Amino acid sequence: MISLPVVLGFAAVLFAIGAYGVLGQTNAIMVIMGVELMLGATMLNIVGFLRYAHPDATSGAFFVLIVMTLMALEATIGFGLVIATFRTRRTAEIDDLTDLKG
Amino acid sequence: MNDVAVALVFWPVGALMLLTALYVFITSSMARAGLLLLAALALESILFIALASEYLGTLMLLMMSAEMVIMVFFMVMFMPDPGGLMGMDMTHDKRRSIAAAVVLSVALSAVAVATDWPARVLPPDAPDVRALGFEIMGRSMFSFLFAATAILFTMVGGILVAKQGGRYAR
Repeated sequence: MISLPVVLGFAAVLFAIGAYGVLGQTNAIMVIMGVELMLGATMLNIVGFLRYAHPDATSGAFFVLIVMTLMALEATIGFGLVIATFRTRRTAEIDDLTDLKG
Repeated sequence: MNDVAVALVFWPVGALMLLTALYVFITSSMARAGLLLLAALALESILFIALASEYLGTLMLLMMSAEMVIMVFFMVMFMPDPGGLMGMDMTHDKRRSIAAAVVLSVALSAVAVATDWPARVLPPDAPDVRALGFEIMGRSMFSFLFAATAILFTMVGGILVAKQGGRYAR
């Protein structure tokens, strides 16, 4: 049977896979993909809480909509930055962007 | 859906979701990585539907299919080896990243298992869509409008950042 800890466990592993993508990939677009997975895990958490802990709290479902919006906004700004970077540097590799490195 | 049906859907679909998510960062073809991410999020939307959030699951499927197809275009345009034919390694700090991901996964799972969560179960036929509609059009209307405005400003901001000869051109 499925219970809240099972849902949260799946979400934890999904979040960790996304974190691996953010930390381990060199290309900006792959990093964005990692963030998408992490936000996806967040939404799975909220849906799990909604189903098993607070079924009458519709504001939780609304919060999923907000996180979904955040995913779209993050991708939009990320893609804009990738285009701007590629236009000036001819690369989207984050290892090459070291202007602010101390 | 009753508990057995939820379990029958959740376990295989959840496992497949994690597998496809992992393969996003293993495959060397970028188009394939984008489509795998789409598959992972589509499988997640099936989990939403199994957990009695039909509206959110359908919305997620619609939004993510459009977003991931756009992402595939970007990957093919801006990745140095989009087809994965040159065998380029596009990772850094691989060992430490894997270690961080494993620690994170174990720690979060331990919290999920060890915490004493409240146990209240949704009745099988909960009016999810209706209740969400009232929530959006009632108490959360202001937040919903704020999200809509944020989308508009982000669209304008994204174009301004990306446009040729803009503020950040050099």
